[in-house]
Amino acid sequence: MSMTSRAENYRGWALAALLGVCAASRAMPATAVATATTGPADGARLVRTYCGACHLPDGHGTLARIGDERKTPEGWVMTIFRMQNLHGLQLPATVRDTIVRYLADTQGLAPSEAAPARYALERRPNVPDLRLPGDLQRMCARCHSAARIALERRDTADWLKNANWHLAEFPTIEYQEGARDRHWWREASTTVPAELGRLFPLHTAAWAAWQRHAPIDLAGRWLVRGDEPGRGAYGGTAEIRRIAADEYRATYHLRFADGKPLDGHSHAIVYTGYEWRGTATLGDRAVHEVFAASPGGRQLTGRWFLADHAEIGADWHAVRAGRGPRIVLVSPRAIRAGTSARVTIFGDHLGGTVDLGAGLRVHVIHRGRASLVLQVDAAPHAAPGYRTARVGATSAADALAVYDRVDRLDVTPAFAIARLGGGKIDPVDAQFSVDAIEEVPGSAGKPQAVHLGALPVAWSIAPFDAQAAHDRDVDFAGRIDSRGRFLPAGAGPNPQRKFHADNTGNLDVIATLAPGDAGRATPVTGKAHLVVTVQRWNTPPIY
Amino acid sequence: MVNPKNLVRLALLLLPVIAQAAGAAPKKDYIVTGSKPDRLFVIDAAARRVVGDFKIPGAHDWVGTIVPSPDGRVAYVLVNRMESIAGIDLGTGKEVFRADLSSPGERVKSLFAFDVTPDGKRLIVYEVPVKLGLSEYLVEPTRFAIFDTNAGLHAKPVREYPAPRRVHTLLASKNDRTFYAIGFDLYEYDIATGKRLDTRGIRHWDHPGHSRPDLLAFWPVSEPTGIFATPIYSTRTPASGHGAPVPVTSLMTLNLRTGALAYHDVEKTSALIFSAVMSPTEPAAFGVYTQLTKIGTHPYRVEKRVDLPHTYYAVLVSTDGKEVYTAGAMCDVTVFDADTLAEKANIRLPGCGDQSVTSPRLVRR
Repeated sequence: MSMTSRAENYRGWALAALLGVCAASRAMPATAVATATTGPADGARLVRTYCGACHLPDGHGTLARIGDERKTPEGWVMTIFRMQNLHGLQLPATVRDTIVRYLADTQGLAPSEAAPARYALERRPNVPDLRLPGDLQRMCARCHSAARIALERRDTADWLKNANWHLAEFPTIEYQEGARDRHWWREASTTVPAELGRLFPLHTAAWAAWQRHAPIDLAGRWLVRGDEPGRGAYGGTAEIRRIAADEYRATYHLRFADGKPLDGHSHAIVYTGYEWRGTATLGDRAVHEVFAASPGGRQLTGRWFLADHAEIGADWHAVRAGRGPRIVLVSPRAIRAGTSARVTIFGDHLGGTVDLGAGLRVHVIHRGRASLVLQVDAAPHAAPGYRTARVGATSAADALAVYDRVDRLDVTPAFAIARLGGGKIDPVDAQFSVDAIEEVPGSAGKPQAVHLGALPVAWSIAPFDAQAAHDRDVDFAGRIDSRGRFLPAGAGPNPQRKFHADNTGNLDVIATLAPGDAGRATPVTGKAHLVVTVQRWNTPPIY
Repeated sequence: MVNPKNLVRLALLLLPVIAQAAGAAPKKDYIVTGSKPDRLFVIDAAARRVVGDFKIPGAHDWVGTIVPSPDGRVAYVLVNRMESIAGIDLGTGKEVFRADLSSPGERVKSLFAFDVTPDGKRLIVYEVPVKLGLSEYLVEPTRFAIFDTNAGLHAKPVREYPAPRRVHTLLASKNDRTFYAIGFDLYEYDIATGKRLDTRGIRHWDHPGHSRPDLLAFWPVSEPTGIFATPIYSTRTPASGHGAPVPVTSLMTLNLRTGALAYHDVEKTSALIFSAVMSPTEPAAFGVYTQLTKIGTHPYRVEKRVDLPHTYYAVLVSTDGKEVYTAGAMCDVTVFDADTLAEKANIRLPGCGDQSVTSPRLVRR
């Protein structure tokens, strides 16, 4: 199997394995039910049946290696993929799903153990990675994200077996830049497993406690807010129904601030008692959900992302709806003095008087159960700064801001990577957004930054430096659309470029706010640094 | 009185005639290179023509290091994802030697490092073995294995010796008794006993004012001079002792006849050089990557540098020193004038497979 087709299979397979139990069940409704009726006993039996030929009993009631590791659901998916791809394991998808579920449930990570590296599970792009202490950064995170290591638990003996596997499978490791400056294998087989066994041990109090934790039932009504870079904030409600042990269906009633609906539905499995993995449709888009339930079961947070472009997605915050009133989001986040705007307050039980603070006159256009749509007029001389939103007896501090001019634009992410696409490897786009800021006099004379959120800007790209200008990177590397999404060009040697170079690029991404929108005589700009680089040939669920 | 130089010239002129009279064709330079997935090519360098196009059995999409036999009749090629060495007759394309390094329960790869002795009788192979357990792998100590080249298609090692880790280049010395292994340091071993005879520092090289160097060479080219040359990188403290260290490209040379090892600074690193070859006729070497560089060796300095159409990993020089060949990466070999570095010809490989990690070689036969 070629690298390309292997990568292709991995991508499609791995996501389907974890998130697409439900995708499969769309075509075959019986599948999900069948999966749902399997329990721990079935999981243990299937592990013995399908893994036991090579993983012999270890004398402690578990099978060799398997009993010595704890991983996230994604981690177990990757393990089974490797067994199939490298060791000839053959098993039906339903069996695979049951085994992943069983292992994630019985040998997973406690919420507190997974928390520091959740960004990797959530596939958040351009997030600074953890830093592993000492030489581990060089020994492990030279190739992997540090998160990938931090999301596994083994004792020192098994970390040593893991080191053996690495050099056995990738014999060039000890020759690579960053490794050949040292006696790599001596370190990898001594200090590294010892340190990993200390930092990420198999047996922990956190995991022991989580195994005693009462099961969480996520069924019920939830209040949702989130923000999709390039599209803006959204809010609304989710109705979650339990259809089997740790398996749910959800219906979403969500809207962006401009009123565009983001309704949808999801089908999810909850692994390890708190790891929500859903396959959903939001609007007309197929998405995957990676959420985590809080230990008390009152919150469900994480990120959803496009099924075919994990780098495009949005964060997700859901809280259980209660009996009392609550504000979860006011959108848009800012209104300019002397203008009028339609503002939506998302929440629950939003009865009573609405007040958005000094200088803002409010007219309620529509009062729903979970949202209020308002016409808001900002007085010409309304003081710039944050306002507290009040609806009846509930309030939300700093929920929106008034501004009279924009002083600067922060473009996020400040540094991003996009990857060329080609052949069977999709491009990796880069999504940018802006946070407009007005500096107002603060306490003790210090300026205070008032964050206004995203305002409508024009996007463009420019050479990052003289070399990029000389090489005409802007002409070759790709383009940016009106929502701030950079779409890379195709990969491969380009005869039009010097040295037949690939379409890589080193770019500035520039957001420009027109003078009229900025309240100034000249445009306000902000910029970020974008490196457009080559493809990744393997695309596992955890990098 | 006859000028001795003229006598030499006359002899050289007559050599092909004498050879033909004796029934042998005059010797020519051939470039031997490989490409994905399983191809081995023989190129008549002067004619700019591919005269041999062979498929290597059991290559499994991987064609690596090429080691020609001293008589130029067989190329030993690392294939099968570093797990097999196939000896291919360069006239017929027939496989005449095969060493499958792995066996049930043990996976063995050679990390690009093997060579044939000058008498053509033995292959010396650097082996990186791994024991394959049911549910785990075990990294085993690295070793040298000696094969008889007349062992046919099921060659097994006749001797094995312990070897250091991280060896990337193996070179037989011209004395038929010892070989050099280059890794953390430069080691010399006795072929018959496996005894390490000498260790000379690369990590702790004797090159005052320089940092510990970085060296990784997968191109064991020493023809036609018998001197192996490779770029080696370090930083050098300014002579004043003040200021930031400067990245420096040096040339490491190892004379396979005398064992002489030398390091010479070439330039403050301004272009990457992947591999290099010594000129047989002038005090110069040639280095390649995205540029072709002519390096003067009296003194050592960059004499000429030209941009290439694309990156090449490997560089060869003709036996008469007049032409330079860039190869490796993508699917062509380009011919340059060794004096001007002007491009003279481009030879495209049939099928246009990527030469990738292969090490093109010059064979005279």
